[in-house]
Amino acid sequence: MRLSTNLLRKFTDINVEDTKIVQLIQDHIAEVDYSHNLREDYKDIVIAQIVEKKDHPNAEKLAVYKIDYGEKEPVQVVAGDKNLEIGNKVPYLKIGAIVPYSIIVEQKPFVIKKINLRGFASNGMMGSARELNLGNDHTRVMVLPDDAPVGQPFAEYYDLNDTIVEIENKALTNRGDLFGILGIARELTAIMGEKFTSPDWYLNYDKNLKPEDTCLNVKVINDAEAICPRYIALALDNVKVEESPVWLKSTLIKCGFKPVNNIVDITNYISVLTGQPLHAFDYDKIISNDPNTEDSANIIVRMAQPQETILGLDNKLYTLDQETMVIADSTHPIAIAGVIGGKETEVDESTKRIILESANFNKTSIRKTSMRLGIFSEAATRFKRSLDPKQCLPGLLKATEIIKENDWGKVASEIIDIYHEKKNEVTIIIFPKKLNTILGTGLTTEEIATILKNLEYRVEIEGKKDNVWIKATSPSWRKDIEIEEDVYEDIGRVFGFNNIPIKLPQREITPPQKNFIIEIKKSVREVLSNSGANESLNYSFVGIDSFKNCNLDDNLAYKIQNPLSPGLSLMRTTLLQSLLLKAKENLDRGEETFVMYEINISHLNNFVGEDKLPIENWYLSCLTTDVKVDTTSSPYFVAKKYLEKVFRYLGIENIQYDLISESKELDLPPHIKNILNIFEPNRASIISVGGIKLGVVGEIDTSIKGNYKLPEYSGAFEINLDDLIKIKPSSKRYKQRPIYPAFTKDLCFEMPIEIKYKDLENKVTQILKRENLWYKIECLDIYSDEKLKRKKRITYRITASDFNKTLKDSEIKEILLKINKRIEKDYENVKLI
Amino acid sequence: MEYTQKNLANIQTSFSKDLKDLSHEQLKEKYLGKKGLVTEALKEIVNVSAKEKPMYGKEVNTLKAFVEEKLSEKVQQDREYTSKPKIDPTAPFDINEKPHLYNQMLSLKGSKHPLTKEMEKILRIFSSMGFDILESRQIDDDYHMFQSLNFPKGHPARDMYDTFRTEDGLVLPAHTSTMQNRALKKFGPPPIAVVLPGRCFRNEATDAGHEHTFHQIEGIYVDKNVSLSNMIATIKTFLERYLETDLKVKIQPAYFPFTEPDCEFVIGCPFCNMTGCSTCGHSGWIEIMGCGMIHPNVLKEAAIDSQMYSGFAWGFGVDRLAMIKLGIEDIRHLRESNLNFLQQF
Repeated sequence: MRLSTNLLRKFTDINVEDTKIVQLIQDHIAEVDYSHNLREDYKDIVIAQIVEKKDHPNAEKLAVYKIDYGEKEPVQVVAGDKNLEIGNKVPYLKIGAIVPYSIIVEQKPFVIKKINLRGFASNGMMGSARELNLGNDHTRVMVLPDDAPVGQPFAEYYDLNDTIVEIENKALTNRGDLFGILGIARELTAIMGEKFTSPDWYLNYDKNLKPEDTCLNVKVINDAEAICPRYIALALDNVKVEESPVWLKSTLIKCGFKPVNNIVDITNYISVLTGQPLHAFDYDKIISNDPNTEDSANIIVRMAQPQETILGLDNKLYTLDQETMVIADSTHPIAIAGVIGGKETEVDESTKRIILESANFNKTSIRKTSMRLGIFSEAATRFKRSLDPKQCLPGLLKATEIIKENDWGKVASEIIDIYHEKKNEVTIIIFPKKLNTILGTGLTTEEIATILKNLEYRVEIEGKKDNVWIKATSPSWRKDIEIEEDVYEDIGRVFGFNNIPIKLPQREITPPQKNFIIEIKKSVREVLSNSGANESLNYSFVGIDSFKNCNLDDNLAYKIQNPLSPGLSLMRTTLLQSLLLKAKENLDRGEETFVMYEINISHLNNFVGEDKLPIENWYLSCLTTDVKVDTTSSPYFVAKKYLEKVFRYLGIENIQYDLISESKELDLPPHIKNILNIFEPNRASIISVGGIKLGVVGEIDTSIKGNYKLPEYSGAFEINLDDLIKIKPSSKRYKQRPIYPAFTKDLCFEMPIEIKYKDLENKVTQILKRENLWYKIECLDIYSDEKLKRKKRITYRITASDFNKTLKDSEIKEILLKINKRIEKDYENVKLI
Repeated sequence: MEYTQKNLANIQTSFSKDLKDLSHEQLKEKYLGKKGLVTEALKEIVNVSAKEKPMYGKEVNTLKAFVEEKLSEKVQQDREYTSKPKIDPTAPFDINEKPHLYNQMLSLKGSKHPLTKEMEKILRIFSSMGFDILESRQIDDDYHMFQSLNFPKGHPARDMYDTFRTEDGLVLPAHTSTMQNRALKKFGPPPIAVVLPGRCFRNEATDAGHEHTFHQIEGIYVDKNVSLSNMIATIKTFLERYLETDLKVKIQPAYFPFTEPDCEFVIGCPFCNMTGCSTCGHSGWIEIMGCGMIHPNVLKEAAIDSQMYSGFAWGFGVDRLAMIKLGIEDIRHLRESNLNFLQQF
């Protein structure tokens, strides 16, 4: 919503600077998008008259003019517009003037200099409407009315010593009344502590209007009363359609409307004043397009029929449906109600007779139509915020009054007003005590009542001393007032939110509950980021190609109905999709070695809760890659190293790893099943702890590495953190260690390659436990070569000590013998080397 | 009938034979493709007599399921067949692996993401002020996004939130307010003090200042006698702790259906002492968040007596706050995962 402070001042006597007005609007009414004082923009622009004109001898497209701008000597100006004539009045930008258009669109405003155009000096410029920010025409110099006084500053003549204020429309979503300057004036007056009184033409108008000379026939039928509470029509005759006078054009331009002609401009002017959109139809065109009539205009408000069409004023053809309300003649639509007029009945220079429409339409219906057809007209913008049906009539009367004053037309019918007035006032009881509690203020009953009266509420104070309440009846234009809190807001705003003394709430000092998932995420970040890994955050959206490149099933993904682009049309089913893509991008940028992780939610449409919403679990995904490692070793082990760093930090023990190729798919949770194909089945394993399957760790599948140009040494893991918090960490309690010296022995076993490291280790620890020793086992080496064929050698280093004594050599030997016996017993093909 | 049934048996036999010889793609084409044998057999049903139709239908479907199952098994087998040799998943490292192969990785400069880092700081402050934490969902429903927040169907303010929807009609939250109803129910009856951090989505074009994906933190506080004055003080205190400086603050009217009164929280720019700089757009003020007193309909929707209790709520974008604090000029850096960017934090 755009307004001019000059217009505002016509309706209220607030005696403050423009900057203060902007601030008051901002602090008490709604967010201001933009405000601009025009005064400086038009400095050094004056009205001039053409006194001499000749062709430019050296340039076909230029003309050389001499213009009088009120100084002793006329000046010479060369211009591209050759159509100007001697006697024309034009805006003249003197040398040193700034082109107003450039102030908005260019970083450095364009300053007029004296130039030479093919041998002729040009002392300044004559401005086009575009250059003056007063319209779109940039090919022709703006020609002013003949009575424009030569030498007068242009800003003075065109009423541009003014400030434009653009209020954010979103902030006025429920305030249709503030789309009129009257509404803003009312609020500002109340904010200044004064009572606002609406002008007589708005509240105490004379509704008797009689045809002056001729009487035109107009019939109105309202077949959509439920969503068109009021429809008023008035016919005018002897209409003169012409260019609007400067005051009208200037006002409209400053308030964001494009001048068209005097009749259309007046309808828009009423909208500027009150927010009430009016529409003008060409009376003769309505009749000539209607096959069923010759001497009377039929206007029917009704719902459109399926497939009916209308050519809008914007020259676009719209196909309508049964939910669209239209204004129609006896056969077909002539306007989309409250949204846009029809081309067929447009008012133009040839128009002699018109019908003025002033109506009220239901906000929801207008909003739907506007959205469905994609028409965001000024009228729809206002109607969808709900307007007061009461102001239809004063709006129409005011327009008629201006038309008559200017002799642009004569009233040629009675006022046809279809209106079943409903009581639409809302009376709300306000308890000052409660109001002061909610706002944190100490307002007296009288202060509250005054604020409300200043906003034109009707106020009655009732009750006695300690128990007083206010009966507040909101003015009919306040469609947003429904409950007491709405009134509190009015009082708070007008009083000034910033005048409220501030105070922290008082409460019991209960500490918040522990949030396990937040805590575990913090820990994970701590350990990974301190181990060389970089945390990333990536879009939840991916494209279909991501599923192909990652061997994933896109049928499991939620699809976006209204994506920004095809590449953002599906919700990722695993965070690994993002990490793989981002790994590629970083490799392309020349990175060689990195570990990147993300902690986030991903979605599967086959993993859904009782509320039909996807179950949202937090996952930790991590990818490791290194271009420089040249080895046959599997990157499985580095990914696992990072995973185990996390587990160790969290105190998670007894982790089980089962190769994907040796696991049964059936028992896996959906999030694990989903990602299996990202990994090499012989080089990746399912991670589980105490029967809970957490995720997968392993080497990236060779084909995926190809798709993302990842180096051979690329591994990853993904685990479910919501499952992880179900696992109890090992006890953090202190355990006493033996005070006796420990022995250290290295044991090397040779075994078939299939035997698992951990299984053998478990045999060793069983013995050590049974002997009641404190112990520690490390792996020194895992070795194999061609000579060993399909066998490997693992060297364990055992460090152990007894709680009660220093172990003698013989006792140590005894223990090692037990270990060896045990292993020989359990494994035929393992031998100690 | 006899013919068709025999035909089905033939298809099965030939499939079993082909399974060994043909590739997965060839098999798919030959049996399940547009003119595949099974596909043709399915079409054949129109030529079967009405009496025998159910029987035939059942058989042909069984055949189709059999073929599909065998095919998917084959894919799995092929993958395993072509996979590299097995490793020992329980070992600490690979056979013959050189020790310290990944020392270089461990010595890289690790980092937390600037957003989560700031988020942790913010949550720590709120936690110290006694607020519980409940994280926001990333796919939600219309009820939580709109209806529970006093946006009935057809409400014009729904247009203010350029909401993404899934094809199943679910909603991607355009603000963390989506969690208000759940939080009020979970932590009620009052006193309730909760912050609700989460990822939000809006269907808008991206540029240096706009992202379709961003983080917000919502907060709600409900108790007896809670006032707008309490709200201003709470938010101000938080911002002063977070930005580690005293602040000049003001609130301006705004519009949200789920608060009444509704406000915009504005701070005097702490970077230029309100003299005007690029961070505050040379205005001296920075709009930092939307806030207001919780609308009684929102409380009622969570079965909280709005006559007895009142409360306030706020929601702010973490991205913007972090950008202001860290001097990040383009919001898109945050989710680009460029290591040059990430490693700075």
